[in-house]
Amino acid sequence: MKRGATIDSMRIRLLAFASASDALGASEREIELAPGSRVGDLRRELGARFPALSPLLSRLAVAIDGEIAGDALPLAEGAEVALLPPVSGG
Amino acid sequence: MRDRHDGREVAGIDYSGYEPMAERALARIEEELADATPGLRIAIVHRLGALAVGEASVAIAASSPRRSTAQEATKLALERVKREVPVWKRERYADGSSAWREEEPLATDPVPTA
Repeated sequence: MKRGATIDSMRIRLLAFASASDALGASEREIELAPGSRVGDLRRELGARFPALSPLLSRLAVAIDGEIAGDALPLAEGAEVALLPPVSGG
Repeated sequence: MRDRHDGREVAGIDYSGYEPMAERALARIEEELADATPGLRIAIVHRLGALAVGEASVAIAASSPRRSTAQEATKLALERVKREVPVWKRERYADGSSAWREEEPLATDPVPTA
């Protein structure tokens, strides 16, 4: 079993940018989720645990280890998951 | 970089990014444009951090035997940067307030061309 994994939960490293970072109160947090959780489950959990994030969720893209991920994609122990608001570079 | 937004005077701009993903996105844009255009060489740099009004946030260098090719590639590169690179700008206003600009949903597919 990987270090940090338990039967009851898995941990991901959550990064948040721009308004998502403001709403989360941090640019980075460790989040515990049920094993087998998918991106859609993460969105629901974040909305429940961080109410300030709730109104932003529909506008946030989610990336897993630097790749945009749809709601059906599963998360793995230790994944780096990023919350990405609409961008404004260039 | 403009100095007014919604009538408020912009005092400065901070750019932040998801750096590893942004670097890969810039490299992808450079590579795809060069692959699609024989003779084109192109390099894109996006600055992060605090910039003063009037400072450039992006530098694009393009060369081609035909000037129009390089100009067109530069234009397309900037359009793609604006849609595909995970970078965000926060405007700082003269009254001390600030706001994130959130404009384009992050895309990973190239902008369709006509």
